[in-house]
Amino acid sequence: MEFTDLYNVKQRFFLGAYKSLVEQNLPDPSSEDYAPILFYKARAHIALGDTESVASLIPTDTENLPLKAVLVFANYITSPVGDAALEELRDLCVEIEGDDVEATEREKSWVRVVAGTAFARANEIEEALETLGAESTTENLEAVAIAVQIYLSIHRPDLARKEFEHAKQWAEDDLLLQLIESCIGLVTGKDGYSDSQSFYTEQLANPSLSSPHLLTARGVTRLLRGEVQEAKSDLEEAVLQQGGHDDAETLAASVVAAGLGPKKDDAEELWRYV
Amino acid sequence: MSVMLTKFESKSNRVKGLAFHPTQPLLAASLHNGSVQLWNYRMGVLVDRFEEHEGPVRAVAIHPSRPLLVTGGDDYKIKVWDLRPQNRKCLFTLHGHLDYVRTVHFHHEMPWIISCSDDQTIRIWNSTSRNCIAILTGHSHYVMSALFHPKEDLVVSASMDQTVRVWDISGLRKNTPNSAPGTFDTFDNFSTVKYVLEGHDRGVNYAVFHPTLPLIISAADDRQIKLWRMSELKAWEVDACRGHFNNVSSAVFHPKHELIVSCGEDKTVRVWDLAKRSAVQTFRREHDRFWVLASHPELNLFAAGHDNGLIVFKLERERPAFALQGDTVYYVRDKYVRSYDINTGSDIGLLSVRKFGSPYVPPRTLSYNPAERTVLLTISSDNGLYELTNLPKDISGELKDSSLDGKRGSGQSAIFVARNRFAVLNKNTQLIEVCDLTGAVVKSIKPPVQTNEIFYGGTASLILSSTSSVVLYDIQQQKTISELNTPPVKYIVWSQDGSQVALISKHTITIASKTFSQNTLIHETIRIKSGAWDDAGVFVYSTLNHVKYCLPHGDHGVICTLDNPVYLTRVKGKTVHCLDRSARPRTITIDPTEYRFKLALIRNNFDEVLYLIRTSNLLGQSIIAYLQQRGFPEIALHFVEDKNTRFDLAIECGNLDVALEMAKAIDRPECWNRLAQQALKQGNHKIVEKAYQQTKNFDRLSFLYLATGSTDKLIKMQKIAEARGDPMSRFHNALYAGDVHSRIAVLREVGLYPLAYLTAKTNGLDEIALEILEGAGLTEADIDDVPDYGQTTLKIPSIITPTANLVWPTVPGGESFFDRALANGNLETGVEPYANGDVGATSVALDDWAKDEEQGLAADEDGWDLDAGGDARVDEGEVAEDIDAEDAEELGAGAAPGVDETEVWTRNSPFAGDHVSAGSFETAIQLLNRQFGVVNFSLLKPLFLSTFRSSHTYLSPLASLPPLQLHLRRDPAESSLSRVLPVAVQTLHQIRVELSEGFRAVSSAKLPEAQAIFRFVLRSLLFVAVSSDEEAKEWRDTVTLARDYLLGVSIELERRRAAQEEPDNVRRGLELAAYFTHCQLQPPHLQIALRSAIQVFAKAGNAGTAAKFARRLLDLNPDPKIVSLARQRIAAGDRNPRDTVDISYDEFTEFEICAASYTPIYKGSPSVRCPYTDAAFLPEFKGTLDPLTCLTEIGVVASGLPAPR
Repeated sequence: MEFTDLYNVKQRFFLGAYKSLVEQNLPDPSSEDYAPILFYKARAHIALGDTESVASLIPTDTENLPLKAVLVFANYITSPVGDAALEELRDLCVEIEGDDVEATEREKSWVRVVAGTAFARANEIEEALETLGAESTTENLEAVAIAVQIYLSIHRPDLARKEFEHAKQWAEDDLLLQLIESCIGLVTGKDGYSDSQSFYTEQLANPSLSSPHLLTARGVTRLLRGEVQEAKSDLEEAVLQQGGHDDAETLAASVVAAGLGPKKDDAEELWRYV
Repeated sequence: MSVMLTKFESKSNRVKGLAFHPTQPLLAASLHNGSVQLWNYRMGVLVDRFEEHEGPVRAVAIHPSRPLLVTGGDDYKIKVWDLRPQNRKCLFTLHGHLDYVRTVHFHHEMPWIISCSDDQTIRIWNSTSRNCIAILTGHSHYVMSALFHPKEDLVVSASMDQTVRVWDISGLRKNTPNSAPGTFDTFDNFSTVKYVLEGHDRGVNYAVFHPTLPLIISAADDRQIKLWRMSELKAWEVDACRGHFNNVSSAVFHPKHELIVSCGEDKTVRVWDLAKRSAVQTFRREHDRFWVLASHPELNLFAAGHDNGLIVFKLERERPAFALQGDTVYYVRDKYVRSYDINTGSDIGLLSVRKFGSPYVPPRTLSYNPAERTVLLTISSDNGLYELTNLPKDISGELKDSSLDGKRGSGQSAIFVARNRFAVLNKNTQLIEVCDLTGAVVKSIKPPVQTNEIFYGGTASLILSSTSSVVLYDIQQQKTISELNTPPVKYIVWSQDGSQVALISKHTITIASKTFSQNTLIHETIRIKSGAWDDAGVFVYSTLNHVKYCLPHGDHGVICTLDNPVYLTRVKGKTVHCLDRSARPRTITIDPTEYRFKLALIRNNFDEVLYLIRTSNLLGQSIIAYLQQRGFPEIALHFVEDKNTRFDLAIECGNLDVALEMAKAIDRPECWNRLAQQALKQGNHKIVEKAYQQTKNFDRLSFLYLATGSTDKLIKMQKIAEARGDPMSRFHNALYAGDVHSRIAVLREVGLYPLAYLTAKTNGLDEIALEILEGAGLTEADIDDVPDYGQTTLKIPSIITPTANLVWPTVPGGESFFDRALANGNLETGVEPYANGDVGATSVALDDWAKDEEQGLAADEDGWDLDAGGDARVDEGEVAEDIDAEDAEELGAGAAPGVDETEVWTRNSPFAGDHVSAGSFETAIQLLNRQFGVVNFSLLKPLFLSTFRSSHTYLSPLASLPPLQLHLRRDPAESSLSRVLPVAVQTLHQIRVELSEGFRAVSSAKLPEAQAIFRFVLRSLLFVAVSSDEEAKEWRDTVTLARDYLLGVSIELERRRAAQEEPDNVRRGLELAAYFTHCQLQPPHLQIALRSAIQVFAKAGNAGTAAKFARRLLDLNPDPKIVSLARQRIAAGDRNPRDTVDISYDEFTEFEICAASYTPIYKGSPSVRCPYTDAAFLPEFKGTLDPLTCLTEIGVVASGLPAPR
């Protein structure tokens, strides 16, 4: 069992509550949790597209490999042109493979996760999958999650399912595991939809966090299930909770919901707004 | 049977006799010390005592239907008592027995009492004539019990002579009249012993009939309970229950189940299986020997008397196991899982759980999992078991038994915690195991407190109930989130939205938020049974005898009273759904007004408050007190009629108008004084004045006038003072008014000459001063010693802001929402009825139209260029480019990309709409061209885009990765790639709605709009995919309908354009008006067309044709008003059946209208068609763009709508 603070941070990160994560204060730098929490917090910044803050959060000369990876990744997001950042990540990946490296297994896996994300973004699917150690025995759930999503994005739900089943054998019954399952469900459909819906409904009722992302996700799920009206109400609430900070996915889903409803004009209006 | 549930216990002298009241919660107990007690066992109070017997009282019984109690004591007396609360007293005493009376019993229908005694006799008494009507002799020792059969004319008796006897008393019924005192000789006729049951080795203490079966049980000093069976001819011993190790005092049948309950001097109460005669359960007591046992005639309730008092107990829990899911209650009745739909009332059995745990024990809890349609039951037998079973999908024939595929395990408490996880508590090892649906343990938790029960605590959380607290516990982090101190929590109820939870203990309810951060505690003296949340967030709960409510901040009150406990399942509006003690669904109608009102007040939902005030009869002191106490006096004001209260409230909330009104009505000085004070505070001096006037408070009134600068009033006051003869007041007022002359006059009048003189002098009124001096007989010389004070500077203050007629400044009187709402007289008017315009709209529109025509106006027909877009050829390249751009981000050149679902869609469907959804615009364009001859795609571009847009949605489950593109499917239950199809963005249903929109536009004469709508409809229809022949037909009908209307509207627009631009071309106008009437419109719209045609033709002098139109109009049964107009036209046509203008219109030959030139194509003439709408055109238009829809090329061959799939 991990330390509670870190657990909370991870939970929020995985469920897309980036904003609350970004607003959270860091623990004492001497604390054991400092680096991991900083790692996730920085990634939350990146997820929100706020790469500049990352530079201020993490000192450029950090010795911590995951943090270094995040820093490079932030640079990559800022200017995705050119291979410089990717090369740096590749170097990091090579570095962690070395024997003399001072990093725990956990830190290594984090480096891989960040690198894998970057490669996936750069459309280097093969490289990403390799980095993440897909179809191998790495017991790194986050890497599995990314790999699954990559499989799904290349229309290979069968491989995604395989990866997930494999992970289920060693992984503890975890939030992330359920999240992975729900993603697969969203793509494969039928019973998968209800899995996802239950998952998001459950998480919405989770007392320890709230995130409009979850509402959006449930809205999308409901759309997929053909429950347009319910989806609409979810999405409207999500927009409300976002309080003016528009989220592209929420709005896109709102357009879809409006487009499927009886009043097509609303969709046009929303679309124009988007 | 795990526990005997003790409901009530009392301490007293030894209890020898017990009797339940059949309907009320009353129990009579006769004691060894001669007292007879009447207990209310539900409230736990001693209701009354009857103390007239001398010595021990062993016999007691309550009449099954009348308020009568009978007792028999060691004083040989039988006493009958009135049980009615107002006159509980001994009615009469029956003398006759010669030794201790052992038992007494009322007959169920005859006015008979049976008693038995140590004098070896059984006597039957008539309680009306109050004498003995029979003596049954035969026993050769003490008779220990004698009871009537519950239905037949039989008596069973038990005696120390080791026999049980059954007596036939049918003769007694016939001979009842023959019962004058002293006629004992007739007894032998009916005192016939029917059977003598021998078998016990010692004296028999008790024997009783089974309520329905021909069975008898007897309890004896040989430590056995024997079961006997009777037939018409004989009776025999069936079996004996052995187990008691001392004398058995009593044994009774369970009123509902096949069980025997017995008690004995071995200090035990035992339960036996009637069928197997095996011991089911034993309940031991440390020191007290049991002497007597009684069962309630209706309920699962028993009483046992022992050396030091009595206990009332139940044999099993009556609380049915149930769970609520939405509007469906899943519950267990008679060991069957059933579902009850609250809305429809359908109540069906789903699953048998007969083989789960002990057959005598009902399941204790039920947890339902809607995602998997699974139930999780627990039972307390066998030291706690749980069972997880799927509910069968279809219920037909024999119900499935859960033992078939249920997964069992041991545990005291088991609940679902997520859709695929459940938690089981093992109380002994204090371990909570989280299992997946196969029963495999995925996680073990050591609870932080001694846990007796677990409940669902929200996502990934549990609520643990310990002896002194409840803990909200996070399963994943394995830590305590929050802890509340409460008495042991027995049940919890979550609110519908999961934001609040009610924790129910025996005597308290804690309402807590979902994180336990806020909570309120309610204490009840009566046992709390159950609760349910109202949709508005009010917790409704039931105690043993009340249904009550509790508001979020802790206010609670009674809703209604209950005769018997119920278990609430759901509260919906005015209906409370519940299960009764035998687990049958019931509903109770309640009046939620009170709590809704209070809730609305707390939430400041004043609209609701107002609504309730308007619609409900909310009166009474309690609500007024409540409102006042809660700080809403202004609302309370509206309820109060009583003048004094109303006045008090008005003062409290500063409503001076009401206060004044009430003060006038009451008219008592103290009211006026209080009003004056309040008004003064609020600065309303007019009311102050009024109040002072009423109380004749002249001093203050004068001062008030001074303060407000009301000089004229001060002068009046002076006059009043003069009239009252009060010089002090006059002086006052004169001073305030600055009237020196009056002042002097007053002083002179009262003889204060020196003061008068000086006043005059200092105010420069030397003459008056002299006058005073003279009047006093003095000269100036005499007063030389008076110093010269000079001119006075005393002046009344000058008025800067005249406020005499101004109520200012004033404290805002606190005019509230209610004051306004209620003052506006809104109180009476309900919600404004929603005016539905549809009903009369058509005729109104018709009139508008007609008016329009009569004025000859054609002003607004413009703006819609019929040829718009006609020249725009397709720019396929552009459209296609867009698609590529949108697709590009999806097509990653990955390792081994699979087949995109959109590709599958295009493969699976021949419909253009589906191809558009898939983003395959190019194939869609090809399809549209091939199927419908569409050539102009520019108009379809927005539809292409919106359709594509509506078929996909995006979600990023993980940070910083590109979002997943998710595809909306037509049938969410379909996942096979060979059959999936995109969601139907354009559906026939929606398009028909759109179409009726167009009809409405036609009705309200908004022709350009109507034209646009019909065109849009025709465009949208191109994207519809049909799934059946019916749908295909409907699609075709819709196309035709839209086309006809579009044609009609276009013709009418052309006519209006022509009328404006070429006013001389009357002929063309007439023709178009005539053609319009030949479009296939619905009657109301056809009426419009005809009336318009009539107008135009009549105006042009073509009275004959106008009359023809009028006839056609009449056929449509229009409004009477229109009928008369039409008749006028017909009459005019008859008078002058000629047409001034010659037009090309032959109504007798069938024709179609060319949709391009708006000229008739008579039957048989050549024409070409639109490949999509099938509109007709003159041959010369072949190959051109269809001007009607602006989509297709006229005359090309097209394949039409593909076959449905």
